Amino acid sequence: MSVPVAVTLARVQRTAFLVSAVGGVLLALGFVLDRQRFFQAYLVAFLFVLAPAVGSLAFVMLHNLTGGAWGFAVRRLLEAATRTLPFVALLFVPIALGVHSLYEWSHAEVVAADPILQHKAAYLNVPFFVARAALYFALWTGLALFLAKLSERYDKKLSLKALRKLKAASGFGLAGYVLTTTFASFDWGMSLEPHWFSTIYGVHFLVGQGLSTLCLSIVMAALLAKHEPFSRWLSPAHFHDLGNLTLAFVMLWAYASLSQFLIIWSGNLPEENVWYLKRTAEGWQALALILVLCHFAAPFVILLVRSSKRNAQVLARLALVLLVMRFLDSYWLLAPAFDEGEFAPHWLDIVAPVTLGALWLGLFVRNLHGRPLVSLQDAKLLGELEVHA
Amino acid sequence: MSAPAHKPPLSEVIAPGHTLTSVSEKITKIVLTRATPRGWYIGFGIAFLLVMVLLVSITKLLVSGIGVWGVNVPVGWGLAIINFVWWIGIGHAGTLISAILLLFRQQWRTSINRFAEAMTLFAVACAGIFPLLHVGRPWLAYWLVPYPNTMSLWPQFRSPLLWDVFAVSTYATVSALFWYVGLIPDLAALRDRAKSKPWKILYGIGAMGWRGAARHWERYETAYLLLAGLATPLVISVHTVVSLDFAVSVIPGWHATIFPPYFVAGAIYSGFAMVLTLAIPLRKIYGLQDFITLHHLQNMAKIVLATGMIVVYGYTMEAFFAWYSANPYEQAMLANRAFGYYGWTYWCLLGCNALTPQFLWFKKVRSNVVALFVIALIVNVGMWLERFVIVVTSLSHDYLPSSWDTYTPTKWDWGLYVGTFGLFLALLFLFIRFLPMISIFEMRTLVPSGVAEAAEKDEEHA
Repeated sequence: MSVPVAVTLARVQRTAFLVSAVGGVLLALGFVLDRQRFFQAYLVAFLFVLAPAVGSLAFVMLHNLTGGAWGFAVRRLLEAATRTLPFVALLFVPIALGVHSLYEWSHAEVVAADPILQHKAAYLNVPFFVARAALYFALWTGLALFLAKLSERYDKKLSLKALRKLKAASGFGLAGYVLTTTFASFDWGMSLEPHWFSTIYGVHFLVGQGLSTLCLSIVMAALLAKHEPFSRWLSPAHFHDLGNLTLAFVMLWAYASLSQFLIIWSGNLPEENVWYLKRTAEGWQALALILVLCHFAAPFVILLVRSSKRNAQVLARLALVLLVMRFLDSYWLLAPAFDEGEFAPHWLDIVAPVTLGALWLGLFVRNLHGRPLVSLQDAKLLGELEVHA
Repeated sequence: MSAPAHKPPLSEVIAPGHTLTSVSEKITKIVLTRATPRGWYIGFGIAFLLVMVLLVSITKLLVSGIGVWGVNVPVGWGLAIINFVWWIGIGHAGTLISAILLLFRQQWRTSINRFAEAMTLFAVACAGIFPLLHVGRPWLAYWLVPYPNTMSLWPQFRSPLLWDVFAVSTYATVSALFWYVGLIPDLAALRDRAKSKPWKILYGIGAMGWRGAARHWERYETAYLLLAGLATPLVISVHTVVSLDFAVSVIPGWHATIFPPYFVAGAIYSGFAMVLTLAIPLRKIYGLQDFITLHHLQNMAKIVLATGMIVVYGYTMEAFFAWYSANPYEQAMLANRAFGYYGWTYWCLLGCNALTPQFLWFKKVRSNVVALFVIALIVNVGMWLERFVIVVTSLSHDYLPSSWDTYTPTKWDWGLYVGTFGLFLALLFLFIRFLPMISIFEMRTLVPSGVAEAAEKDEEHA
């Protein structure tokens, strides 16, 4: 009676690739017209699509360690997302090439005139920057492919040995993920304003990635809920769990944001408060207000209500809004660093995330083909137990 | 609510072979019928002596003033705040186990939640003593409360020290309520089983007329869930505010934005270490291995490892940013921490908090009860050292070399600290003697249903 899942997926994939093709042309045009703005928009868009790819890796590992019903609904989807990492690594190449357009510390003459940057040059220099990025991607990709292989083997044969291996790899992997992602956030985000620093920056970035990933998995689960094999056992309880996790991450995001703000506001030191002064002037304050309302307050209230978490459609719409907010948050975090903090959105700022987002979505959906959409062993278990909603 | 497939097999959280009756019997027996073990008298005696040390230390302090402590200018906070933060952090594991694990529907919390909650209450009681005494004239502590008065007194609402007053008192209230509400059905069970009249009356008053009616249970479940929902944010807020006590200032080593999550993780870390420290001897002495199984200990060990790793993350960020900030004061702070007058405390802290928990990666260690006990003790020491390092090294060495000074705790500082151990242990001994240290009715829900029905029939026939 309903459309087969492959057809829906193929349609999503086709649309995504089509959008990214059109966007690619526009991006190329932007590159020719205004190289500076191109790289700026590209960096924000890159970090936007990086989030669900690496964040999925974190959730897969977390689920390997803790278990829990929430994960069985989405873990094969998340694994497909992690297998996009080799392509995401390729998406980093333009940033490595455009490093001089983005990062002040990459200019020898700027560093020569700045004692603070001279001090930091041991860390903030182009070869080390690129080497670090290579290391991050090597670790993430390696982990993603290794875990995907293990879980494929586990699907074929229920083996405790494979399960133990998955757990061990996930424990160490999670520690490695947290450390590398933290430093990646310093490299790619914080060092745009190389004088400024905040010790919670990495935590804020990690939480943002987690939230993006959860939102993506909610949207995908809601999209597939009506199809086999999900329709057989995906229940409101699964969405309820995902909704609760989203609520937790919305709160964590607010917690990290407020902690940073409160501490810097109280200290009121010129080396720190400039960051907020920039972001609360010239029109950026409107964006800040939108984030407070739509990245925290409204989702928080909606997610407190039980019925909105158990309704896949309501939850999926909220997740879409939150994904937009995730982009705006990145934009608010990163873009004021460019061009003296002037608030001047550019058409590339929208084209870049749409293009990269669509390209990534297409790759992600393509990864869903050819592998079971649910963990076969777990589905077997669940089939025997019958899920109670 | 959720798919039941992934809960641990029940046999892991309760040893096989137990029936509803045997569970109630085993737990109530400790309180009602079994003779008080000699060890209890010895332990309580020692704790009582330490309470005397506490009373003497407080008396000396009140008679002579804060000068009997080692605090000075610039180290104005000293052991008092270190102990306050340490105790309050320990308390957090109790709330985490009872509230957050309840919300996450983790069944394994059941046998450890009761005494973990009691631990929370007693730890908060110990913690509260320090700031109260440190205000100098504790009889005027009510000045911290914003109330209309003719003295032109109004607290400074921008100060996290004031937020502490609200956060900690709210936390203490909700924790006490949560603990008591959870006790009500068990107090009724004790009332029904007590042999002597006075105990029947006492437990009966505590049970508030509980008869186990369906309506009672329904309201009870709602109240308990609501309290769990209330207690959860309090765990985070209390230690966040505690971290802000430091972070909102501009002292090098204190003014770091990572402080709130880092302090919360540290609190949970030390709290779980304390639960392990208490649970391991208790289950041995009272023969509760059936209820507090190896599975519980392993789970707690994993939480200790996970939160320990977050704490290590905090240390890493502090050290990296001391260098990356290119701020000479931050760099001097790190150098002073590692190689200054108090340098040894920093290395001990790293050994205790960063190195020791790494052994928990190995399943062999996690399932070795003695090793777990030793690691938990080391973590407790490490977390105390962490607060010492943060408080003392930063204060003793701030911006102006002319105002640098060292701090050495006096015997009255130590007397007060050791005394709170006495208070904590004495309360704990009284608790395990007079109240069920494991929730009876919640344990009964873990008895496999087939066994439960059979046992109920037996009870009816008996």
